[in-house]
This record gives sequence, structure tokens and C-alpha cells, in this order.
Amino acid sequence: MRDAYLIGAGQTPFGSMPEESYRSLFDHAVSEAIDSVDHGIDTDAIDEAVVGSLGVGGRQLGLSGPAATEHAGLHGVPSVRVENACAASGYAVRQAVQAVKSGMADVALAGGVEVMTDMSSDVTKYWLGVSGETEWERLTGTTFSGVYAQMASAYLREYGASEEHLSMVAVKNHRNGAKNPKAHLGFECSLEDAVDAPVVADPLNLYHCCPTSDGAAVALVASEDVVEQYTDDPVRVAGVGAASDRVGLFQRDSYTAISASKKAADTAYDRAGVGPDDLDFAEVHDCFTIAELLAYEDLGFCDRGEAPQLLEAGTTDADGAMPVNLSGGLKSKGHPIGATGAGQIVEAFKQLTGSAADRQLPAPKYGLTHNVGGSGGSAVVHILEREAAR
Amino acid sequence: MTASGLAAIGAYAPRLRIDAAEFEAAWGRFDAAGIDEKAVPDADEDAVTMGVEAARRALTAADASGTDVAHLAFATTTPPMAEEDLAARLCSILNVPEDAKTQTMTGSTHAGAQALDATMDGGPFGEDIGLVIIGDCPRGDPDSEVEHAAGAGSVALVVDDDGPGTVLERASHTEAYPGTRFRTGGDDRTTGLGVTQYDRDAFTTTLDSAADRLDVPMETVDAAAVQSPDGKLPYRATGALGVDAGTIAAADTVSTLGDTGAASAFLGAATAFADDPERVLIAAYGSGASATLFVVTGPVPVETALDGTVSLSYAEYLRRRGEITRDEPEGGGAYVSVPSWHRTIPQRHRLVAGRCSACGALNFPPTGACTDCHERTSDFEAVELPGTGTVEAVTTIEQGGAPPEFVAQQSKSGQFDSAIVALDSPSGEQTVSVPAQVLDTTAEVTIGTPVVLTTRRIYTQEGVIRYGFKAQVASQRR
Repeated sequence: MRDAYLIGAGQTPFGSMPEESYRSLFDHAVSEAIDSVDHGIDTDAIDEAVVGSLGVGGRQLGLSGPAATEHAGLHGVPSVRVENACAASGYAVRQAVQAVKSGMADVALAGGVEVMTDMSSDVTKYWLGVSGETEWERLTGTTFSGVYAQMASAYLREYGASEEHLSMVAVKNHRNGAKNPKAHLGFECSLEDAVDAPVVADPLNLYHCCPTSDGAAVALVASEDVVEQYTDDPVRVAGVGAASDRVGLFQRDSYTAISASKKAADTAYDRAGVGPDDLDFAEVHDCFTIAELLAYEDLGFCDRGEAPQLLEAGTTDADGAMPVNLSGGLKSKGHPIGATGAGQIVEAFKQLTGSAADRQLPAPKYGLTHNVGGSGGSAVVHILEREAAR
Repeated sequence: MTASGLAAIGAYAPRLRIDAAEFEAAWGRFDAAGIDEKAVPDADEDAVTMGVEAARRALTAADASGTDVAHLAFATTTPPMAEEDLAARLCSILNVPEDAKTQTMTGSTHAGAQALDATMDGGPFGEDIGLVIIGDCPRGDPDSEVEHAAGAGSVALVVDDDGPGTVLERASHTEAYPGTRFRTGGDDRTTGLGVTQYDRDAFTTTLDSAADRLDVPMETVDAAAVQSPDGKLPYRATGALGVDAGTIAAADTVSTLGDTGAASAFLGAATAFADDPERVLIAAYGSGASATLFVVTGPVPVETALDGTVSLSYAEYLRRRGEITRDEPEGGGAYVSVPSWHRTIPQRHRLVAGRCSACGALNFPPTGACTDCHERTSDFEAVELPGTGTVEAVTTIEQGGAPPEFVAQQSKSGQFDSAIVALDSPSGEQTVSVPAQVLDTTAEVTIGTPVVLTTRRIYTQEGVIRYGFKAQVASQRR
């Protein structure tokens, strides 16, 4: 199959934007993505569109793909909404890559959008936690933070990690996010703040949880046959991996690992022909800070149980050997569910094309994005490679 | 033909208690004479769940199981659903055969006696048993005598052909006395007109007339378990029944549990039989008015859980009663249709797991591909789990953090623990994991904590109560 390339990517700020609609947000992200294409691109060149969204708030549950892309001027383009909870737009990007690699499309648009902050607190209560296992998990009273808290309880017990490690992830990601003008919570926080925050679901406190955000993100994927029309500085989609698991935590093999992440990463590394040591940075799914620790292990950055040591050693700091969540991650940058996966691609694209401004790494070659749906029912991993300038 | 053996009694009262002094502090007075403290049902308890607690204990004490039951009678003045045969849910939860005869008695505090009467008449049972389940939790307006007295409790009696206990004699009396204690249609609060002498007359006249029909001499009775809407009224029956105050006090529960409605006299009997008396009089009365007396000879094996372990303040009491709390928010909730809930009743009521025919792993619920070997087997061997297990992962859902379906529960009962529990197989060699709430407890719940499952209200949607399992710290089980 032919190669697929990222030729552009853009996003709205993530945050609370009651003046915006799901359509206007998506439109802004499309504009940013188009503007980021080196040689420019006309919307007529887009053959396919995939829009990730959970559909929080209801809004336009049916046909929300066409509703968003028609509004953004992609008139007549085949468009579909992908729903895979928080991994929706990670999967949207994967489908765009499939369309391009298969030859069905020369240019495909993949994006995601979510509006989460304009609802009453009662309605919000309903929509948070619709991606857990409904019949047995949610309807025993377990919340989404509750499920990750259960995982954290098991992890801390199994590996002797502490709640302070959970807080250290927050401090690191806020430090990175403070340099990201698009971040929802773009401020630094002290370890003291992140340790003393009010408890949400023991052992998770407020600083161990990402915010709920509004936002949209879009990536443009082109085939090797047309990529030169759009850029001299191509970012190759070197490898994609995805996997599923039981939606309910209670039916999984382990509570201290997300096996879908591991499987997705193994596939992506295999396809890309690289390993964790070859990566220059990673954007990982830190909806709760425990999830970032699990990601270090699932993605092979360290052995099981060693994530706290990796964190303590500063390896995943911005100036470490394997910077993780330079964007601020879900924790600081924000988590507009359906937009998150594409938003990770935006950060990777910026880093690999040297446009990440204050948080730019010196000449990275490989970046990884890791997007999880629910508490691990689905996961998708992309490995992106900056090729030599043509 | 009848069955007059009494094989065992089980009794249960909620662990929550409120002291009379709390009412006194709140109101400047306490209007329920002779009550020191009383039991308060938690947000997830009702006449059905309390009935299950008593029934399981009675069956254990009788060395019987639900499958032995040929006749089940349920009595309460506070049915959780005003219309619907709740005996069906009790049968399902207790694994009573589907061809068992069932009856539901309600409408007055005499319902418990009516249930025992009818069950005895349903005999003889041969190798089988009859099961009488009485659960009640009266309530009134906050400033009323009924509410000040209102307690909660349940009792279950295993009726068979040959005991060891025997109902020696029984007698009833019915006579119209309207307006003493009543509840109008659609209301959930019991009231009365408070015509003091008239109310007392209704009570003593019916008991007296029923007692006249007994041959057993009352001086042979060691304890008299008399209907107790408060701690004073039963003692007004000494003359009518021909027993002294000490005999009535020997079966007292009202002073510590409050008014337990239809369960009142039978909870008294459960307490009395714990002291191994020879002969106990049960004197049940219901407004309207009617009364039934049973003279029972022991011994009767008893298993009870009547002690309180958590004291409530009056503010906490008002929360538990739902006087100052909110209902499910209007934003809606996650939806599981009633038919899809119905499909999972064996799991929710009886912990029926399934053994995979391919790899032997236990699955819960036993549907779809095996969670262990992932084979597409639809061939699960049903395995009823004993309900013991160990906490594998746990968190606390803090006040204000509950999903909408649990907002009403949390508003009443506060934060709750949410765990994944590894349930033991019958042989103890395997486990299978399930999510479950852990009942409010004073013990800390951590990974490795042993638990036992019990039946509670999980949530209510579209007016339909969904009963299922919750976990209880094993060392806290009373």
C-alpha cells in the first residue's frame, strides 16, 4: 500500500467557549488546518472526511459528520462520524489514513469536535460517564473518574507507587501546557497544589483529573502520489496500530495495564519499524494522571511498575530523553472528547514541522500519539516521522 | 388441614439508629412514649430488602433453602410499589420455585398475622415449608407521633408440619373501628385522628375479644409479644390479654427499634424466643380494626440481626427520610430498559454466573464470548455463586459526584464506595469479578477486604425499582 502523509493540522483553542457551536468550532479547526499546509490547499481537493465525536449533549447525534463538514464548506464530500468515546478522532485519523493508503482518496480530512461546557450541571452529569460499561458498571453507581480511581487503587497497591506520583504527572503537564496558547488550563501548578487538591474519587483528586473542554481539531492526510503538491517538508504516517478490549474494567485481564494500548502500540511499532527508543516525544492519553503512568508501561517506555521511577528521573519532562505531553496533555491542554485524538496529531505535526514555538524540540524525527477510548475499551497509536526535506 | 409447626424465625433491623434525644433536641419534645431509640432504613432499604435479610436468616436457622418453599406470604404496610406483586421479586431473590403459592398482605399492621394465618392454612407442607416474610418501615409527617415512633424491621417465619416450635392455638377478632390509624390513597404518610380513648378502645376491645376465644390459660405464657405502635400502648393490653407488664416487656422491641408496623409483634416473638421460653403469645393488631393471637410453644431456633451500629443526628435522619434531599436530576440517566434488566435477573437476584464450556472460566454475566479465552461459546453452565468475595479495586464516589441515577441515593446517604469484587465460586477455587457498591461501613474498605453480597435497591428508573446486589464488609455483617 502507498504511504500516507500529514500535510496539515490545526485546532481551536481548547477551553470553555459558550459563544461557539460544534459547527463553528469544527470550521475554525478546518481553517487552521488548511492554513498550515505549506503550499496551500483548496477544499475541492479533499476526497473524504471523517469526524470524531462522542456527541456530548445530544445536539446532532445523527449525521453530525455531514452537518459539520458541509458547514465548513466541504460540500458534497463523503463524510462520516466516528464514535469511539475519547478515542473518536484518533480513530478518525486512522480511517483517513486507511482511505489514502487504499487509494480511495488522495486527500482525506480527519478531525473531531466536542462541546462539553455549555450544559446545565444536571445534563453534564448524564453525559459524563456514558463510555463506561453502562449496564453493570455505571449502573452500580461508578463514575468515569471512579473507574480510573479503581485502576489507580490497584496500581498503587501492586507497585507501591504513591499518590504523589499521580500529582507529579499533573505538575509536569501543567508546566508544558503553560507554554501552549491553546491550552484550556495553561497555567503551572505546584506539587503542593496538586497534592492538596480536593478528592474526587479516592485516590484521585481534582488535579489528577483532566478538565471537560470545548474544542475541535483537524488533520489533513495526503497520499505519496500527491504530497509534493502540498509540502516540501512531509510528515509520514510511519505506523498505525489500534485495538479493542472489554468496555467494563471488571471484565479485563488486568486493572493495572490497558491491554488495548499495548496491542495498538506493538502494531504501530511493528508497522513503523521502530521501537520506543527511537521516539523523540510522545503525546499520551492522560485523562487521569494514573493513565499517563499506565501509558509509559503500555507503550514500552519502561517495564511494568517502573513508571513512577521514569517520572521521578525526569525522563518524560520537556527536556528529558522522552518528553511526554509537550502540549500539556489532556490534563492541561484540555479534553474535548471527540477532538482529543486529532488534537494530539496537531501537536505532533507542529513538533515535527518545527512550528511548536515555545515548546519546540530541537529537530525531532519520530513522534507517537496515543489515544484511549473510555477506560481502555479502545486505543489507537500513531507513529509519525519527519522525512528529510524534498 | 393446616401446618402448625414453626421451624425457625429470622429477624433483621437496619443498622442505622436515632436516639430519642435527637428528636427532643430538634423539636423540644419527643412524642413517642417508651421509645429510647429506633431503627432507620438506609436509602437503599425498603420492606422488600429488609424482608430478604430476615428470610435468609430464617432459612439458615431452619437449615432450609428457598427451593424448599411451597408457600410464600409477604406482609407489609409499606409496600415499595403500591401495585405489583412484590412476592414475585422475593421469590426470585430467594430462589423459591416458580410453582410456589404466593400471597401479599397489606393495608394494616395486622397484615403480618394475616400472612402467618394464611400460610398455616396453606399446609400441610410435607417435606416443604411455608415462608412468611414481614417487613415494614412506617412513616408519618415529621412532627407527628407516627413519625416520631416510626422504626423499621423485618421478620420471617418458617412454617412446617412439625416444628420444633408449634402454634398451639390461634384466634382472631374483627370489628369496625374506623379512623384510628390510616393512610389515604396515594399518600405515603400514615396519620390518625388522635381520639385518644376511642383509639385505645379499638386496641383493647379487639385483643380482648380474640383472647376470649383462646383456651390456653394466659398465666402459662412466658412472654407476650404485643403490637407496639409506641412503647406504652402494649401495656394497656395487660387486662385484655390477662398477662402482666413483665410478660409483655419480655418481648419488647419497640423501645430500641421503634414502631415496626406489621412486623411488630413478630419481632417481639423473635426476641422472646432467643431466651428459650416455653410458651409465647403473639398478639398482632391492625387498625380498622382486627387482631389475631397465636400461642406458640418453643423451642424455636432464631437468627437475628437487630443491633444498631451507626447513630444518626436528626439532620442525617431527615436526609435518610428524603425530607430535605433531591431526586434524580432532570438531565436524564443512563438507560437500561426493563426487558433488558429482566434478562439479567438471575445475575442480579441470585448471582448466577456461567462456566465457559471451552476453558472452564467463570463469566459474569454469562453472555457473549468468554471473557477469559474469548471463545464464542454460548454454552455456559449455570453456577450459582455463594456471594462471598474479596475487594480487588475500590474508590469512593464523593458527595456530589454520583451519576444521575444515584443522585437521590447519595443525597440521602452520602458518599459511597464503588469496588470491583472477585466473587468466589462454590468450590472456592475460582473467582469472577463484578462491580458493586460497598454498603456504608465504619470499617475501611481496601484491596483485599473480604465482603459478602446482599440485596438492596440499586436505583429506580421510570418508577420501577431495580433490586440487585451490593457488597458488605464481611466483618461488619451482623
